[in-house]
Order: sequence, then C-alpha cells, then structure tokens
Amino acid sequence: MALKITLDLDLCQGHSVCLGECPEVFDVVESDEGYPQVILLQEAPPPELREKVEKAARYCPNHVITVTEA
Amino acid sequence: MSETASALSDSEKAALKLPPKVSGEKPDSGHMEEFGVNFARFLMRCNAECGELAEYNMAGQQTVLMSGPAAQEAFLKTLDKKLSRAAAYQAMVPVFGEGVIFDAPPERMKTQLKIQVDALRYQNMKAYAAVIAQEVQDWIAGWGDEGEMDFLDEFIQLTLHTACHCLLGADFRYKMTDEFKSLYHDLERGLQAIAFVDPYMQQPIFEARDKARARLQTLISEIIAERRANPEREYGDALETFMSGTYADGSLLSDNEVTGLVIATMFAGHHTSSGTAAWTAVEFARNPQYTGAVLQELEELYARDGELTFENLRDLPQLEAFIEEVLRLHPPLVLLMRRVIEDIDYNGTLIEAGKTVAISTYGSHRNPTYFPDPERFDPQRPKASSADMMWAYIPFGGGPHKCAGNAFALMQLKSIFAALLPKYTFELVDAPETYEDDLSAMVLKPSSPCRLRYRRR
Repeated sequence: MALKITLDLDLCQGHSVCLGECPEVFDVVESDEGYPQVILLQEAPPPELREKVEKAARYCPNHVITVTEA
Repeated sequence: MSETASALSDSEKAALKLPPKVSGEKPDSGHMEEFGVNFARFLMRCNAECGELAEYNMAGQQTVLMSGPAAQEAFLKTLDKKLSRAAAYQAMVPVFGEGVIFDAPPERMKTQLKIQVDALRYQNMKAYAAVIAQEVQDWIAGWGDEGEMDFLDEFIQLTLHTACHCLLGADFRYKMTDEFKSLYHDLERGLQAIAFVDPYMQQPIFEARDKARARLQTLISEIIAERRANPEREYGDALETFMSGTYADGSLLSDNEVTGLVIATMFAGHHTSSGTAAWTAVEFARNPQYTGAVLQELEELYARDGELTFENLRDLPQLEAFIEEVLRLHPPLVLLMRRVIEDIDYNGTLIEAGKTVAISTYGSHRNPTYFPDPERFDPQRPKASSADMMWAYIPFGGGPHKCAGNAFALMQLKSIFAALLPKYTFELVDAPETYEDDLSAMVLKPSSPCRLRYRRR
C-alpha cells in the first residue's frame, strides 16, 4: 500500500533533515515567506520507501511530517 | 477566536472585556519589584490569580501573560501576524549591530534569519557533531579517576569552545578563544536590565559593549577577507554559510551583518546550552535511579558502532527523555515576549496594540493539569501525547519562530552526556536542596556553586 504524507508548513524552517534521509520524496526550496520550505516530489510514495520516509518524519526537528497509510 | 483582517472598530472594541489585572501594583513601578525578586514565581502567581489572561505593569509597559495550551498556541502561532518580536527586543540592537535582525527592515530581517538557519541545516550539523565530540574528548582528557568541579563554570567554558569552533572554525577556535571570550563578556554585560529601559545611555557598560562589538567585527572582517582570497578551501562552519548567503537582489551580507549573525547565534545558543548541561549533570547526580536505562542504551550504541556520530546520536530515546525532563523543570528561557501591533480580540477579550504579551515556559511546565506532581523529576512522564501537550511543553517555543537551534542543542547535550556517563558517575557535593534555579540573569541556570564530584566507573 502506498504511503500518505501530510506536511504542516507552518512549522517548517527548512532544516533539510528530510532531504538528507529521503531525497526521492522530499525537496527543500526557497520561499518568499522567509525560511526555505519542504515540498513533496511524490504525493504517494511506494511502500519500499517506507523506512526512509519514516526516518525523515522521526528526525524532523520541527515535527512537520506525518506519515499515514494511503 | 476572531480572525478579522482589519483592525477593530471602536464599537467592536467597546463590546469586549479587558484582561483582568494582577493585584499588588505600585504607583509608577507597577509590578517591577515583585517581578525582579523571582519572575518565574511572579508569573505563576499572575496565572493562579487571574487565569488564562493576566495583565501586569512593568513601569508603565502593560503586559498580558497568556497561559495554558490554547493561549500559548495563539501567542506562538495563530496571532503571529499581529505580534512583533522586533519591538520587544530593542535592547539587542547595539549588541547585534545596526541593521541586524531586530533593527533590519522586515524583508532583510527575514533573509538574515533564513541565512542563520541555513547554518544549522543537515549538512552543517554533521560537521558540528564531529567538532563537539572532539571538544568533549579534549575536555575530559585531563580528568583522572576522580575529582570535584563547578560544572556550571565547566559547561560555560565547554560550550563557548564548541560554539566558537562551530561558528568561526578551527583556526579561530585555537588561536583567538581568549580574546573572543573577553569581547563576548563585554557584550553580555551590555544586556543588564537597564538596557531594556534605554540601551543608548551614557554608561561605562555600554561603552565597553560598543568597543567590544567594533573589535569583534574587525577580527571577523579579517577572517572574511582571508577566506575570500582563498575561495577553494572549505570550512564546514557557520561563518562559511553566513558569508555565502544572499539577499533577493543577489548581494552578500556585509561584514557588519555577518558579525551580527555570529553574535546573535552566540546569544541564542551559549548560556541556554551551558545552563541546561549543568542542570542535566545535577539531575543525573540527584536521580541515579534513572541512570541505568540511559547507560544500557549507550553501551548498546558503543558495542554496535564504536563511536558517537551525528546519526547514532539521534537514536537515544532514554537519554533524550532525560534531557527533555530537565528542559521541562529548568527551561532556559522562562519568559517569551512580543509587542502587540494590531488590536486583538482573544475570545471576547481586547488586547490593545502597544501592550506586550508574554508566555511563561516555566509556569506552563508546572501546570498540574498537564504535568501531575510537577516538581517531581520523572523522565518517563508524557510530553507530546496530544495536541494540548504540544502547546503545554514548550522549552523551544513553537510555531513559525520556534528556536531554530533546537536540533543543535539536543545533539550537543546528547553528545556531552553520551561521552561522560559511560566513563564517570556524578554525586552532589552540597545538600540537594541547595541546587536551585537562578533567575538573576536573562537565562535560567543552576545556582552557584554548582559543585559535583565525579568518579571513574
């Protein structure tokens, strides 16, 4: 089953931990609102990326990322 | 909560209540005196007497304390656009420098803060983790089998070394630390309470502050010039990030602005880290029953990987829970403030533009609804089990301006204790109740002396 990722962008300061853990799914881009912001490269990543996506969520210092089942 | 885009009309304002006022106000000085004795306890009294909103008077500056998860969330997140940090922190301007952060126009301030956070991103953090591990090894190399030290003094020194090293690089750290320390000391002394009344008065402490600021800029300009002349070298420190950051038009930060970011980063990260590290050591000495679980997790780490790395430091839940409990009882920043720039209707109560609003981490962390038996040290108590808890447990604030150094701070604390605990045990030297929160400076720390005895395991 694919994964569903939810982002709370109000909390993102562009630390880029997610990008380091799982560049297949996350990128961090410049934003007009100050801090860079995370974006999703895939809305519903395949299950083989589960471990990397979960690490990205777990180690995000601002708890921006939530992972659920699609 | 009303989410109106425009300011409130007079008739709308007239229909609203005003925040209840805290008793004990004196003519002119208001609550200044009581605040000065122990402001963390004063703020808890405000909340106990008036509830969610409590208005007190700081020599004419009306301040509304907002308490409880809902009000704290409003302060940190939903009301953000109606609140200003810059107006509340003008005393920092001569320390950070003209045109830096709180003195910069909003767009430039945003870019400067972004560049400051860039220095804390993933790639840099790996380099910092190695620097910190090295500094800790150098520090404990001369300890021997046992001894007694003031751990607040020790951690002030250690975190000055790590900060200097991560910010300005190895060359600066090993050649310039002594001069940096004395300049930084003069900058700090320029932030006494009087600076919050008027930071530009004719005062010896302010003259020393301005001289130190100018000298530091000279030193940093020299490194910048040398580095720009040798662009092929890589450093992995924050200065490298600050030097390469650009504004929207592509221009680089000036030497003045780079110096300002270095100073601002020191002020955000140094005493907050040394105070928390000292309290962590004291709590390990005071609560040996919790050491076993932490030690076991560390033994597993060393057996598996042999050494501390950025990656394995992230998977130490027992040590992390211990440090989080230290941050609950001893949050380094007790009081967070903003100036209201547009009238607020908070659930039927008017908080007028021009007033200050504040939240107290210390008070929130001792609210028995969320932290039963709050004075008891218990690393296992839940801290993020619900949305309410997320806004009740706020050692790093929250929302868009959450402390951007939180990951750095936790990494450094874990690195220190992951190195110390397997080698040494800690015991209190003085009676347990004499280790208290000292609130005489802006940042909470353990009272002096903060003596501990260590013995090799």
